[in-house]
Amino acid sequence: MRRLTSLLLLAATLALTAPAVAQVRAPDGAPNPTASSVNEEMLFKQDPTIHGRISIPNATAANLIQPQGREWRQFREAWLPWIGALAVLGMLGALAAFYFTRGRIRLEHSEESGKKILRFNSFERFSHWMTASCFIVLSLSGLNYIFGKRLLMPLIGPEAFATLAQYAKYAHIYLAWPFMLGVLFMLVLWIKDNIPGRIDWIWLKQGGGLLGDAHPSAGRFNAGQKMIFWMVVGFGFAMGATGLMMIFPFAVTDINGMQVMQVIHSLIGVVFIAGILAHIYIGSLGMEGAYDAMGSGEVDLAWAKVHHDLWVKEQQAKTASGPQLGRGQVPAE
Amino acid sequence: MARMKFLCDADRCIECNACVTACKNEHEVPWGINRRRVITLNDGKPGERSVSMACMHCTDAPCAAVCPVNCFYTTADAVVLHSKDLCIGCGYCFYACPFGAPQYPRVGNFGSRGKMDKCTYCSGGPEPDLSVAEYEKYGSNRLAEGKLPLCAEMCSTKSLLAGDGEMIAQIYKERVIKRGYGSGAWGWKTAYRETIAI
Amino acid sequence: MKAFLVAVAAALVLASAASFLLAENQRFAYQAFATSGARVSDPGTNLVGPRWTGDIAEPGKAGHKAEAGS
Repeated sequence: MRRLTSLLLLAATLALTAPAVAQVRAPDGAPNPTASSVNEEMLFKQDPTIHGRISIPNATAANLIQPQGREWRQFREAWLPWIGALAVLGMLGALAAFYFTRGRIRLEHSEESGKKILRFNSFERFSHWMTASCFIVLSLSGLNYIFGKRLLMPLIGPEAFATLAQYAKYAHIYLAWPFMLGVLFMLVLWIKDNIPGRIDWIWLKQGGGLLGDAHPSAGRFNAGQKMIFWMVVGFGFAMGATGLMMIFPFAVTDINGMQVMQVIHSLIGVVFIAGILAHIYIGSLGMEGAYDAMGSGEVDLAWAKVHHDLWVKEQQAKTASGPQLGRGQVPAE
Repeated sequence: MARMKFLCDADRCIECNACVTACKNEHEVPWGINRRRVITLNDGKPGERSVSMACMHCTDAPCAAVCPVNCFYTTADAVVLHSKDLCIGCGYCFYACPFGAPQYPRVGNFGSRGKMDKCTYCSGGPEPDLSVAEYEKYGSNRLAEGKLPLCAEMCSTKSLLAGDGEMIAQIYKERVIKRGYGSGAWGWKTAYRETIAI
Repeated sequence: MKAFLVAVAAALVLASAASFLLAENQRFAYQAFATSGARVSDPGTNLVGPRWTGDIAEPGKAGHKAEAGS
């Protein structure tokens, strides 16, 4: 049976290729240059790009025509500015709307106000700020690739803008390395506290206390923070992988692959920026007392009990006196 | 003004690479950078053809559109040129170019990849015509001297044609009618959104 | 604040280390795309380079000789 199918397949292929073979030669059997020459239309039917052999050492130059460049240009010039503006301005608008309706989430005072508890040790804060400072420069220099010539160049002139863009490009390529290292550090530091659980589902169902006055239970990180963590890790790795393929052209992919990498890199980039804007808002302006966690590393015990009750219990169970520190005391690290 | 184009008659190209050498010598192009190159299709098989390819000076050029510092401009002769003073070497023009024309002095995109270099249609750059600065950065400016690009001018089989688009299309059409065959104007559909109908 | 300053300093140090390492491993086009064929002079980095004499009377020729001789 298998033999029969393979025979049938062979016959089918022969039947399909027979007219093509006949076309190569003229009716009298002599080679006919008109019929036998390759042409653009035929080659584009075989493959999306036209490529051949080249005698210079640069093998990547063997690509004759890749019309996909036009499609990539369409993405970069017609769609990306709108997607990027929508993501960044949309998030800023949403945050502003949230601020003016909900207002700042205030610190709720209790008898434990004033006491401090260590939330992030110095290495955790170091990893966070290394990644964060790189991210700020990377996002600004990344947005410069899209919006610089539209917004900044008319203001400061082409020469000044070209110089600025040159340094922005250097910053983008070199600061990518500490950024990737920082993402790795944070992954190792916080993955154990960021495994999603049932409690996160309850937190999410109650709206995380963002809209009402309820404060659903949470461990060291609540569901919103876990989402930020996994976004930073996932997007960070994706940005690193796609970025590296652009830093090392032709190392892994061909020209069409690099176009796809640039599309992924830019799309994730603008969504990443929007996500981090929300993170910056809630970590500073949006919630009183939240910034201390990354600022000094110590948070108010009253704040911690409200927002991360399970974590405080856990810490207090570890040692009766250890993590609770009075005002002015230096935390033991 | 003329609308300058290149047309490579693949049925005449014998892959001698003289256009490549002429280009390199005329503009003192450094080693490893190829503003023009010859690609052989179906090498060693029946119907093999070679095509000489450089910047096609596209209509609505993709490189110019994607450049993040807008360093490209189109001359009155519809030649696409760029300013090496503004170029930041990001490589976006290389992604967008359908013909692989942009070249860089250094391999890899590590920041200091250098200023992009490409075919200027032998017409220099934004500096004053025939100035020292122009020659240093972009090579000679034959168009300013009233001459056409050297690659096409010295093509031994007159396969590579350069000049006003309509004029070279007419020459090609006459050839095809006389000899009875032709594999078409390579890249014209992608570069100019038009083909030569015969 | 201290952690922040140390983080910024570390980012800058790592970035300069990355730039140094990448630049060390970056090759010129004339190194990457060249064969072991004969060479008459040092290949320039870009076109005729900064040492070109600028003698336009004999385009290319005069500058080329000056470059090769130096």
